[in-house]
Amino acid sequence: MDEQLLRARRGEPAALETLVRAHQRTVYGLALRMLGTRDLAEDLTQEVFMEMNDHLTSIQSSGHLAFWLRRVTTNRAIDQLRRRARIDVTTLDEESPLFGAVDEADPLLQRRLSLLLAELAPAARAVMLLRYQEDLDPAEIARTLDMPANTVKSHLKRSLDYLRLRLEEGGDARRGDHST
Amino acid sequence: MSSSGVNPSDIDMDLEAQLRDALRPVAPSDAFTQALLAKLSARSARASSARESHRSQAAGRGLPPTRDGERVVRLARRVPGWWLTASLAASLLVAVGAVQHLRAEHERARGLEARREVIEALRVTNQKLDLAYRVVRSQSSAMAEGDSGV
Repeated sequence: MDEQLLRARRGEPAALETLVRAHQRTVYGLALRMLGTRDLAEDLTQEVFMEMNDHLTSIQSSGHLAFWLRRVTTNRAIDQLRRRARIDVTTLDEESPLFGAVDEADPLLQRRLSLLLAELAPAARAVMLLRYQEDLDPAEIARTLDMPANTVKSHLKRSLDYLRLRLEEGGDARRGDHST
Repeated sequence: MSSSGVNPSDIDMDLEAQLRDALRPVAPSDAFTQALLAKLSARSARASSARESHRSQAAGRGLPPTRDGERVVRLARRVPGWWLTASLAASLLVAVGAVQHLRAEHERARGLEARREVIEALRVTNQKLDLAYRVVRSQSSAMAEGDSGV
């Protein structure tokens, strides 16, 4: 991958395509689950990859690139969410696979988790996505979001408690609001 | 079972595993990926073209062609500014030096003039004293001759 990075820096389209295809699921997945709609997610994904293209010379390795992409995507999404009101998840495209592996998991639970996750405050949502989508540990999440590790752990605990509570309630997932 | 058909106890037991299952990375549509790659290629081509153009401009100014053409051109554009600043600083230093030199010369001239005035004053004083001495001496001689003639 570092070879691809070097070639992409030299402006080789094939190398750039390899980088985009290697990381687009991470970027688009984070963007979609943070922002809630496919259009917004595509806009953010495009913006992030354009910026990546402009900053390739400052990116040292494939690991650094993955870190940089997660960091820019989540921070941009958090900024967007803070600038506007909470995403209305009911407006999501029904065909958008906000949550994957529908064939293996309970689709009802998928839907509930989708609604509940959208209720979390932007920073808490980003922490949850980096933990469970990207499988980062709290220290890595802290570095990505430039946030104290204890704050990350606190977000994780409170968000999980909130999800459990709301799932047990079994009522309308969009009834309450969680602003951790 | 809850009203949504989800068993809360099952969820509570394995919520994190459920989240991992649910939050798998999602790929965008192929159409979006193709459009994104086309935009990136176009942007890279424009950037390469701009770099090449800067390189040509740098070569035209006698600067060595480098990979980072923009930087060379930027430096080339900064050179006159740098020289202007240096020239202004040098001019300022020369002006300050000249003023200091003129001031020193003026002080020296004033000192010489004062010395000359003092010498002139001493010379005049000496002449006055000499004249007074002569007057006193002539009067003393006249008195002495008068006394001897009586």
